[in-house]
Amino acid sequence: MFQFVNTLLIGITAGSIYSLMAISIVLVWRSTRVVNFAAGGLALASSFVGASVLEKTGSFWIALPVAMVAGALFSAVVEFFFLRPLLKRSGEKSQEIFLPIIATLGLLGIIKAVLNFIYGDRIGSLPPPLSDKGFIVSGESIALSPLRILILGIVLVLMIVLTLIFQRTNLGLSLRAASFAPEISRLAGIRVDLIRTAGWAISGAAGATAGILQTTNGSGSVAPESFEFSLLLVFGFVAAVIGGIESLVGAVVGSLTLGIILAIILTYVGSSLVFFAAFIILILVLLLRPHGIIGVKGSRRA
Amino acid sequence: MLKVVAVHKPQITNKHRFVGFALIALSVYILSNIVDEWRSFQGATIAIYVVAIASVILLTGYSGQISLGHGALLAIGAYAAALTQIYFSAPIWICFIAAVLVTAFFGAILGAAAARLSGPYLAGTTLALAVGLPSIANQFSILGGEQGISFDAGWPPLSFGEAFTQYKWFFWITSLAALIAMWWVQNILRSRYGRAWRAVKSNDVAAELAGINIGRSKVLAFTLSAGLAGLAGALLATTLNNVSPSVFPLALSFSIATGAVLSGVNTLGGVIIGSVALVAIPEIATSVSDRWSGSDNLATLLPDFIVSALLILTVFLAPKGPIEKIRSRHAK
Repeated sequence: MFQFVNTLLIGITAGSIYSLMAISIVLVWRSTRVVNFAAGGLALASSFVGASVLEKTGSFWIALPVAMVAGALFSAVVEFFFLRPLLKRSGEKSQEIFLPIIATLGLLGIIKAVLNFIYGDRIGSLPPPLSDKGFIVSGESIALSPLRILILGIVLVLMIVLTLIFQRTNLGLSLRAASFAPEISRLAGIRVDLIRTAGWAISGAAGATAGILQTTNGSGSVAPESFEFSLLLVFGFVAAVIGGIESLVGAVVGSLTLGIILAIILTYVGSSLVFFAAFIILILVLLLRPHGIIGVKGSRRA
Repeated sequence: MLKVVAVHKPQITNKHRFVGFALIALSVYILSNIVDEWRSFQGATIAIYVVAIASVILLTGYSGQISLGHGALLAIGAYAAALTQIYFSAPIWICFIAAVLVTAFFGAILGAAAARLSGPYLAGTTLALAVGLPSIANQFSILGGEQGISFDAGWPPLSFGEAFTQYKWFFWITSLAALIAMWWVQNILRSRYGRAWRAVKSNDVAAELAGINIGRSKVLAFTLSAGLAGLAGALLATTLNNVSPSVFPLALSFSIATGAVLSGVNTLGGVIIGSVALVAIPEIATSVSDRWSGSDNLATLLPDFIVSALLILTVFLAPKGPIEKIRSRHAK
C-alpha cells in the first residue's frame, strides 16, 4: 500500500510534467495543424537559457520566468520565420502532415547541433530549488518532497492561468476561434496570423517550463544530447495523442494516465517494458477511441 | 489517304527497366572490385537504406500512411533472421525469407490497427512503437538483452578466391537483395494494388465509390512495407554480425524518414539519392571539419547539422523530391 502510494505520487509528478509538453504540442497542432517535434529542441534551448540565468543570478525564481519568456520568443520566431513560409509553400493541404513533421524534425536537429556548437561538452545545471528529500511519514520517507510539491504547484498554477486565458480573455477567444474556423475568424476581423504566432508563443512557454521542471525533477543538468528531453518529447506527444491532440483537458488527462501507468509498470514489472507499455497504452486507447480520449471525430473543437 | 501520326511519347517498358537494373547490378559488380573494405561496407549500408527507404516510400508516398517507426520493423526483421539462424541453423537466404514473412505478419497486425488511424494519431503510434519495441529485448532472455544475439552471414564461398573480403561479400549480398526487392516494389507499385493505394491517398471517398476496399488496401500496404523493412533489418544484421536494441534507436527511424524525404517521398526512383546522402553526408562532414578545424566537437555535430539543413531545404525547395523537381522543370 505504502509503495503503491509512492508509485502514484511519482507517476503524478512525471505525468504533470508531461502534460506541459503535451499542452505545448496540442497548442501548436490546434493553431497550425503541425506536429511540432521541434518543441523538444525549443524546450532544451530555453532550459539552457534558464540554466545560465540561474548561474548568473542564483535564483530559480528569476530563471524560470526568463526561460518561459525565452521559450515563447524562440517558439514565436520559429513560427514566423520557419513555419509560416513553409505552410504558404505547401498550400495548407490538411492531408499532408508528413512534410511539416519532417521539417520540424530537421529543425530539432539544427537546434541540437547549434546548442552542441555553443555548449559543447559543458552542461547547464539546474539543481532543485527545494529539497528533494521526501517527507518522513511514520518513520519512512515517502515520495512526496518539497520539490515535488513545488512542481505540482507550478503546473497547477500554469493550468489555471491557461484556462483563464482561454476562457476569460479576448486573446483566448480569438485563439479558439482562429483554430476552429480560420477563414470566418479572418472575416470577423481577427488577425489569424498574429493569433497563430501567439499560440506558438504560449506553447513555447509551456514547453520551456516542462523542460526546466523535467531537469530539476531528474538529473539536475541539461546537455544538448539529453535523453531526458527525448523522453519528454516522446511521452508528451504520446500523451497528447492519447488525449485526442485537439483538447487541452485531453492532454492533461492523457499525461496523468500515462505518467501513473508507466510509474506502476516501472515499480511492479520492470524498467525494460516501460517504453513498450507506452505503445500498448496508446494503441489500446486508439483502438477503443480512434480520436483519443477527448477527441471528436470529424470536427474541430473550439 | 488518311495518315495517322501518333505523337509518340517514349514509353518506359519492362525491357528498359530490366536493362536499367542490369546496368545497376553491373556497376555494383565493378565498384565492388575497385573499392576497399570500408567503401564496400558503405556500399552495403547504402543498399540497406535503399530497401528501408523504399519501404517508407511505399507506405507514406503511395498509400499515404505516415510511419515514424520503421526502425522497429527493421528490428523485428533482424531478430527474426537471427533467431531463425540460431534455432534452425538455416542457410542465410532462408533467414532473410523468414525475416520478411515474420515482419510482414507483424505489419499486418499493426496495419489492421493503423488503418483506423490517420495523421497525428498514426504518427504518434508509430513513434511510440519505434521507442518501445527494441527495448523489450531486455526483458526476454531469448532476445539476448543489451548485448544482443549474433547473426553470421558466413564467409564468402572459397570458389571466389582468397582475396574476396568479408565486406565485399556483404556488399554483394545486400546489393542483390536490394535489387530483387526494388524490382518487386516497382512492379507492385504499377500493379492494381499500387494504383489502388494512390487512389485512396488522393481521394478516399472517390476510391471507395470506385469499389476499392480502403481498409484492406491500407492493411496490404502496411504488410508489404513491413516485409520490406524486415528484409532491410535482416540485411543490417548481416553487415553488423549482431542484433541488439542499440542497433535500432529512435534516430534510425528518423534517418529512414529523412532519407525518404530527401529521395522524394512520392517517387520510388529517387530512393538512391536519399540512401547515398545518408551515407555520404557524415563522411563529407568529417572531412570538411578536419580540413577547417581540429575541433572534435564540430566533427560530431556537423553531419547532423548538414542532414537537418538539407532536410529543411528539401521540404522548402522540392517538397515532392528532387526527381519530381527536375521532371516538372523539363515539362515546362
